[in-house]
Amino acid sequence: MGLVDSPNGEQRGRRAKRKRKRLGFHIDMTPMVDVAFLLLTFFMLTTTFSKANTMEINIPPESSEIKIAETNVMTFRIVQDGYVYWSIGEATPKKIRLYDEEGAMSLGKEVRRMLSQQTRANSKLVIVVKISDKAKYKYLVDLIDEFNIMKIDRFSLDDFTDADADAVGIVSEFENSLTDLG
Amino acid sequence: MSKVKSKRIGFRIDMTPMVDVAFLLLTFFMLTTKFRPPETVQIDLPSSHAEQKVPESNILTVSVSGDNRYYMGVSSQHSRERIFERVIQPKLETAGMSVSAVADSLQQFRLAESFRVRKNELSHFVTAARVANQRVRPVVKADNEADFEAVNYVLKLFKESNILTFNLVTVFEKEVH
Repeated sequence: MGLVDSPNGEQRGRRAKRKRKRLGFHIDMTPMVDVAFLLLTFFMLTTTFSKANTMEINIPPESSEIKIAETNVMTFRIVQDGYVYWSIGEATPKKIRLYDEEGAMSLGKEVRRMLSQQTRANSKLVIVVKISDKAKYKYLVDLIDEFNIMKIDRFSLDDFTDADADAVGIVSEFENSLTDLG
Repeated sequence: MSKVKSKRIGFRIDMTPMVDVAFLLLTFFMLTTKFRPPETVQIDLPSSHAEQKVPESNILTVSVSGDNRYYMGVSSQHSRERIFERVIQPKLETAGMSVSAVADSLQQFRLAESFRVRKNELSHFVTAARVANQRVRPVVKADNEADFEAVNYVLKLFKESNILTFNLVTVFEKEVH
């Protein structure tokens, strides 16, 4: 009872004795190692500990108000077609292109030169950026990026109001009349 | 000299340790690799030279697509549940959905990486996300071609809800000048 006997245990024992004992046998592991390394390289190369880059933005609270002399304020208006109208204080805005060419990654040379000149000329300069509603988000990012590179931290974002649209309109109308005359 | 040395014909190296390490690394990479989940909407990010990384956890992503639509995503499932309870559940209940159907959509919502939000509802969702987790880090992920108006709406909304520090997601620009 309870004893399980293999049907022909004795025979088996005899057979095992007949078989040669496998001492120190070798398996060729090369193909397995090849595959392992292939997979390893694949996963190592495809794994990107990917983290998107970000730009940190700090905005002032709604209620804060700082008074600045008019001559220290540069208004930087960006309209939808990629033109910039900039002016210091109440001066007439000057028009320049934001990008050297269509689809460029960063701002044009002229804008950069103007920004570095103006900030060097007046260390108290505060740049008020007003971007038209129809303009692209890219303009904002490129501009802030440029500010960060130039280490300009005295800038703020403001609403593009009708008054700004008028100021820009006057300049473009003036230009149109010039070309008409020409 | 070389004649003194015995010639090494058919010598073997024990590769076992190397293979062990290889398999260890292989298992590590296979297990840690998380294929990026398909995104709800394709967003073509603007480029910048900013090198800061997105915070690890507690992120609230507000995405603006190229056609000026808003999407929102919260990284923690716990917050997602809370947002659901606060904003979506009452709406579904008033619409006359059964309890099981609500539970079902909660399950779905919990796994949603991001979801579409209408412009006028965005502030509700942002508030709900902040109530669910006070330490939430807002991140704006907007498309290159999104109108400034659409993005400005989000920025203003943040300002109104007193979120004064947030991040704009960009891709790193290699070109230097």
